[in-house]
Amino acid sequence: MQDTVREDEILLEVRNVSLSFGGVKALEDISFDIRKGEVRAIIGPNGAGKSSMLNVINGFYHPQEGEIWFDGKLRHRMKPHQVAKLGIARTFQNIALFKGMSTLDNLMTGRYTRMHANLFAQMAWVGPAQREEIEHRQKVEEIIDFLKIQSIRKTPVGKLPYGMQKRVELGRALAAESKLLLLDEPMAGMNLEEKEDMCRFVLDVNEQFGTTIALIEHDMGVVMDISNRVVVLDYGKKLADGSPDEVRSNEEVIDAYLGVSHD
Amino acid sequence: MFYRESGDFKTSYIQDQQIFPILQDRMFVAVVAAFAFLVVPFLINDYWEKSVLLPVLIWSLAAIGLNILTGYCGQVSLGTGGFMAVGAYASYKFTTAFPELNLFIVVLLSGGVTAMVGILFGLPSLRIKGFYLAVATLASQFFLVWLFNKVPWFYNYSASGQINAPERLIAGIAVTGPNAPPWATYLFCLTFVVVFALIAKNLTRGRFGRSWMAIRDMDIAAEIIGVAPLKAKLSAFSISSFYIGIAGALFFLVYLGAVEPTEAFGIDKSFLVLFMIIIGGLGSILGSFIGAAFMFLMPVLIKNILVNGLGWSPDIVAHLILMIVGGLIMFFLIVEPHGLAQLWRVAKEKLRLWPFPH
Repeated sequence: MQDTVREDEILLEVRNVSLSFGGVKALEDISFDIRKGEVRAIIGPNGAGKSSMLNVINGFYHPQEGEIWFDGKLRHRMKPHQVAKLGIARTFQNIALFKGMSTLDNLMTGRYTRMHANLFAQMAWVGPAQREEIEHRQKVEEIIDFLKIQSIRKTPVGKLPYGMQKRVELGRALAAESKLLLLDEPMAGMNLEEKEDMCRFVLDVNEQFGTTIALIEHDMGVVMDISNRVVVLDYGKKLADGSPDEVRSNEEVIDAYLGVSHD
Repeated sequence: MFYRESGDFKTSYIQDQQIFPILQDRMFVAVVAAFAFLVVPFLINDYWEKSVLLPVLIWSLAAIGLNILTGYCGQVSLGTGGFMAVGAYASYKFTTAFPELNLFIVVLLSGGVTAMVGILFGLPSLRIKGFYLAVATLASQFFLVWLFNKVPWFYNYSASGQINAPERLIAGIAVTGPNAPPWATYLFCLTFVVVFALIAKNLTRGRFGRSWMAIRDMDIAAEIIGVAPLKAKLSAFSISSFYIGIAGALFFLVYLGAVEPTEAFGIDKSFLVLFMIIIGGLGSILGSFIGAAFMFLMPVLIKNILVNGLGWSPDIVAHLILMIVGGLIMFFLIVEPHGLAQLWRVAKEKLRLWPFPH
């Protein structure tokens, strides 16, 4: 499969990554790639190392072995905020919004890496800082329209219901206009309707903005429907990799995860 | 309320981003500012200057400084008194070493020196959080006061170990020293407070403020968004210390005139400013003013009523004040952690719909 993909079509490649915490091996020799413009799902049972994988991509964890290639370049050891500058945004499994700030401010914070007004310009406000603020506000308003969260623009996010908070968190990641968007269980804890909305948003982001998406999700229906390719992890090892159909019919995956009785 | 925002439509983002989005609020603030600058200087006397206006203005500035660090960036600091001492001693060294230097520049430079000291003592914040950081900043409080007592160079080898503000003029009018007229000292402080309150508001509503609040609310997510914790925390420490240093310089030069570090900048001052922002409102510039005025004026008011009005003995009243302040702090921590500023916001929300809340 690797052979049919041209090198420049790959956005992120993880090569032989191993990560361990003391004696516990969280990831063992994992390799996979994410192509430009695709929706890539990472699935696996609890403790399989999915979130660890995202944390490695984000720069929170530094793998003991292996390489990460992003956008055609080998990525050296980086801190998370440097990774953000490269163009990788993320949402969290447990909502990690800035609770004391309004929806608008949360989204504006998402554009942090793209704003450059210096200290003195900001002290004066009028002038470059204000121009920049307005320019980015326009972009943020586009995202607010896209996610249909106009009515909660100025509400402190701590007061919002769960589904809305998830949506604002997606908005904050979108505001960064990243090349790669990592979604850690974007539909966890949602009801059917909210899930459908979220799926629609994920697909729209992918199609309209052309953003590459990697997502972790437990709802197999969702995963099989919206992802182009799926990689399956179990106990830190890669079990399978391929299209949803291939993965679904893979014996090992069924044994480890999807669960079928063997009579 | 007497007015509401209905009918006040915003048609551009500039209008939407104003500090006071409601027209009547803007008018009110303009009137207050005009009164403070144009009317008060003619009415002010010694009592109002020394007992009410100057201390409230100076403590407000210190409270804004600490609020930037603690309220906006979430880093608890108990070093405020020490940083004020740095500002005071820096201003003393600057005015005595360069007598011709304009007093505005002296105060700003003192703030700059304090900012650098603040960065130094802010370095532990990169590793430690919460209570442990508070203890680390406590060390700065004691170390700095000790330093200013111990090293004679700081107080120009004076026999008493005190520092005294020399008389300095701005445009021919004394602003420091015993001959300074009340209106001059008042206007001098007011200018600093107004300008720097505005700057603080601008910083906190822009990119810097958002990076601080992001670190405060969820530091992991802040990092993922691209906020470098080092930069955000140290910028908060330096800007906060800058404000506190200016407050310390004004406190010494204009208000006290003569300073002995243990007395003037002790740990009680650090706590006082911390209580101001807790009661006034964490993460609110308005709250810094309310808190400073409340914490400073409430004891004055109680004393005036009980001692002068009812004739109670001053020592009983002094103890009573301590008990009331302590009780209020506990009350606020339990009932309204966001302080008086939040109560004000809630009151406004309620009054918007009054008298038909449904």
